[in-house]
Amino acid sequence: MADSVTIRMYNVGFGDAFMLTFPGRPRPRRVLIDCGSHSFGPGPRPMKDVVKKIIADAKDADGVSRIDVVVGTHRHQDHVSGFAQKAWSTVEVGEVWMPWTEHPTDKAAKKIRDAQSARAASLMLAMNRLNAAAPVRAMVQNSMTNARAMQTLHQGFRGKPRRRFLPLRRRSATFETPVLPGVDIHVLGPSFDEDVIRDMDPQRGESYLQFLMTRNEAAGKRLRPFSSKWSMRLSEYRRAHSHLMLTDKQIKELANVGDGSEFDLATKLEKAVNGTSLMLVFSIGRARLLFPGDAQWGTWKAALAVPEWRELLSSTVFYKIGHHGSHNATPRTFVEKYLSKKFSAMVSTRKVSKWPDIPRLPLLKALRGRSNRVVRSDRKDRPDPAGFTRDAEVVETSVPI
Amino acid sequence: MNNEYDIPTKRPLRIFAFDPMLAQLDSTRVITINVPNESLNRGPQGTRVEVIDYDGVNECLYPPVDLDDPSVLMRNGLDPAEADPRFHQQMVYAVAMKVIDNFDFALGRRIGFRGKRLRLYPHAFLGRNAFFDPELGAVLFGFFVAEQQAQGANLPGQTIFTCLSHDIIAHEVTHALVHRLRPLFRDPSNPDVFAFHEGFADIVAIFQHFSFEGVLRDEIQRTHTDLSNRTPLADLASQFGHATGSGKALRTATMEANPGQYASLMEPHDRGALLVAAIFEAFFQTYQRRTRDLLRIASGGSGRLPEGDLHPALVQRIATEAAATAQGILTMCIRAFDYLPPVDVTFGDFLRAVVTADFEMAPRDSYGQRALTVDAFRRRGIYPEFVTSLAEVSLLWDPPEGRLPPFPNELVRDLASAARELSGVSAVRGQRANTSDGSGLAVSNEAEQRRYKRALRKYATQNPGPLHLDPRREIEVRGFHSSYRISPDGQLLVDIVAQFAQTMEETSDELGGAPLRGGTTVVASSDGVVRYVIAKPLVSGASTARRRAEAQARRERQYSFVEECDHGDPQRAWCADSQLASRMLRMHNFASLHAGRG
Repeated sequence: MADSVTIRMYNVGFGDAFMLTFPGRPRPRRVLIDCGSHSFGPGPRPMKDVVKKIIADAKDADGVSRIDVVVGTHRHQDHVSGFAQKAWSTVEVGEVWMPWTEHPTDKAAKKIRDAQSARAASLMLAMNRLNAAAPVRAMVQNSMTNARAMQTLHQGFRGKPRRRFLPLRRRSATFETPVLPGVDIHVLGPSFDEDVIRDMDPQRGESYLQFLMTRNEAAGKRLRPFSSKWSMRLSEYRRAHSHLMLTDKQIKELANVGDGSEFDLATKLEKAVNGTSLMLVFSIGRARLLFPGDAQWGTWKAALAVPEWRELLSSTVFYKIGHHGSHNATPRTFVEKYLSKKFSAMVSTRKVSKWPDIPRLPLLKALRGRSNRVVRSDRKDRPDPAGFTRDAEVVETSVPI
Repeated sequence: MNNEYDIPTKRPLRIFAFDPMLAQLDSTRVITINVPNESLNRGPQGTRVEVIDYDGVNECLYPPVDLDDPSVLMRNGLDPAEADPRFHQQMVYAVAMKVIDNFDFALGRRIGFRGKRLRLYPHAFLGRNAFFDPELGAVLFGFFVAEQQAQGANLPGQTIFTCLSHDIIAHEVTHALVHRLRPLFRDPSNPDVFAFHEGFADIVAIFQHFSFEGVLRDEIQRTHTDLSNRTPLADLASQFGHATGSGKALRTATMEANPGQYASLMEPHDRGALLVAAIFEAFFQTYQRRTRDLLRIASGGSGRLPEGDLHPALVQRIATEAAATAQGILTMCIRAFDYLPPVDVTFGDFLRAVVTADFEMAPRDSYGQRALTVDAFRRRGIYPEFVTSLAEVSLLWDPPEGRLPPFPNELVRDLASAARELSGVSAVRGQRANTSDGSGLAVSNEAEQRRYKRALRKYATQNPGPLHLDPRREIEVRGFHSSYRISPDGQLLVDIVAQFAQTMEETSDELGGAPLRGGTTVVASSDGVVRYVIAKPLVSGASTARRRAEAQARRERQYSFVEECDHGDPQRAWCADSQLASRMLRMHNFASLHAGRG
């Protein structure tokens, strides 16, 4: 079909890797959106093989792999880990798009990155010392700098690709590029809106983190606030001051104060990094393809507040379901008020037992209540609708333009 | 005990006026405060508060101080010493009691902790935090090591004790008292509830400061009477802020006003700071009015003071006015509690309660304190819901709508004996620290308490309409007390206050553990005649069309607040459905709220 865009979703487990192919002569134009997988929710094939397949799929008639645009929506492992593979140096890339928060010299961007990676590093340290549960640790791992992958996005690939950090400050949020003729790109997020930026800050938790750290440190090198002549043992105290009742239960409750806060901190960091996600709409002919990355409510809210974005969103014909189908990455108002009835949707996800609410089944149900063309990467939970093809590695569909 | 001497009503105890950091810069920052006298066990353990010095880090205990020991009594309590845990115990006790005393005074009754003692753990854990834990019925104070940089006058790496900060102690004990007076304000039912908790705790901490005249004199001299200037009096927890590396005090009361703030600041501390700033502005304006004549006299009529140091006599007079103004504002704020609805508080409710309570006490508003408060709220965009204007008459709570009979005689007749019970020390004189509820009315035993509750429930069941209660739903009696106050005109004012609440338990899960509630506070005179019905009804309890519309709006607001919280909840995606039923309580608890700062 020459007059359609194909969308190919690679099965990477808990992660994202999407290839869009726009019709074109002499060669079709390709956009790769993300390439990563979560260490806690790997796909059926190792990432190396997935990358190999993507590169093979992007091969032109002359045997050279060409991707016109590579998009790294945000620096989470489950969206970029694949870019750490060496094989990318053979791929010719036209442009690389990243959120503005990746801009190497922009001050505000640097501040956000520094805050996030400092938090990730200190949390990781704390997690190791605390012997935190694996899922919590994996969550923090997801936000670690992913340096090798990010280096590919910033400096790698063949063909000296141009880097764009989107949206551009004080410029239109809609642009065209010679590498994708006929396509308008709308950058709905991340905006420079103060609320959106606040969402990127893993703020409010530094003191808890220190609390966790010191509590653990205390076991080895205790901070003694007073000279040892003051300290009394419990039995001694109870004998001498029986009117001051301190029960074993109370002591235990005091020891438990702050438990569970590492999970709280880890999710805060996760959300902050998700907050930097690029949210893009590709517009060609009649087709509007919405790729929100892992954008969170802040970005959605800012986008839904703009009348022309609302109109754009209401003409979506393809929707990449945000953040692996979790709550908070697809607002209810978007589904109920703006999404038309004629759309296809894909969710790249897999079940991880520790995160039972992802993908969120009521969300999939609500989407399917409006259109039956909704599929997930990890399994057929119902026969695939007409127009979708699937094998063990990919699910593919196309939308007319 | 020897009864040849009068037993003093107050006990002097020494504390750091702010915290050790500011004390070390200036020796006058160690002050002596007077707290209600009671005989104390070691701990100290009194009737309402006890200190247990369990060090959760080293799993040991520190010997409890004996404040009744003659050698301690003789010198107004132990000398301030960071290295002596017994001084720490003394300080948390003293500041806690000072806060409780302020509540007793303003509310005209003894505030107990329902037969239990509020427990204070001065060295509970290692961390930059202190918080009130309603489950433990205790305030836990952390200690920690100062940051290496930006530590102010602290030594790098010095151990910082949150239990030696007047502000932190006062703040946390206020949380405990607010929780005692309005336990249902633990439900995050709208964005104001936790912000109110935070803001109110800061207000008490700040204005308690201003009642310390010695400190006030220094600051008046230093700022040339401009107390709105950057003064430590208007800052909170200076040492704590510096030690955590922020390079400034934790919070300050002097924040510029703009009318968009109320709509935009949502985080509980930021939003609470708005309340603090509004009250502080009212204080400052009132203080200026009260001292204008003094400045004129001192400056030969110009009102402009000459350069250089002020005359000590002038400073003393101004300090007296400032302290009186501060005490007046603090009392006004605390007194408002009797006029707050039992559920779902908003800043607007607080404003109406302040206005009503103050109007009852001093109808004339001679310094304009009340009008200035209304204006300070207005300048920040805080308007009470459902009122037609900001005129005083519209802000007063409503009298009963429809016919509401007075409280039954059996509830009213015991008031005289209750008054005896109240007269502070006499109740505890000579007895060694027994727990007694002392919550106002002479509710001496449980049977009697049950009798009152029954009578009140019957009263409510018979008058659901004017009380805006749903007769088909259980009516819970949340509190009943009388209060006795002397007005500025010298009149004895007696109030009887009852609170009723109703809960739609079936909405609890979807609202994350904070179900829809309705409630009514009823204020009556000593003869039982009801003067105010402060109602926040359930939709099914509202008995007029206007009330029904308000109740519906309130319900909508809570649902959209929960939705907003869900949107912002980082854990929402990652937790199981089984945890959803308590998610709002998880997102709003005092410990994690406080950990967020610093």
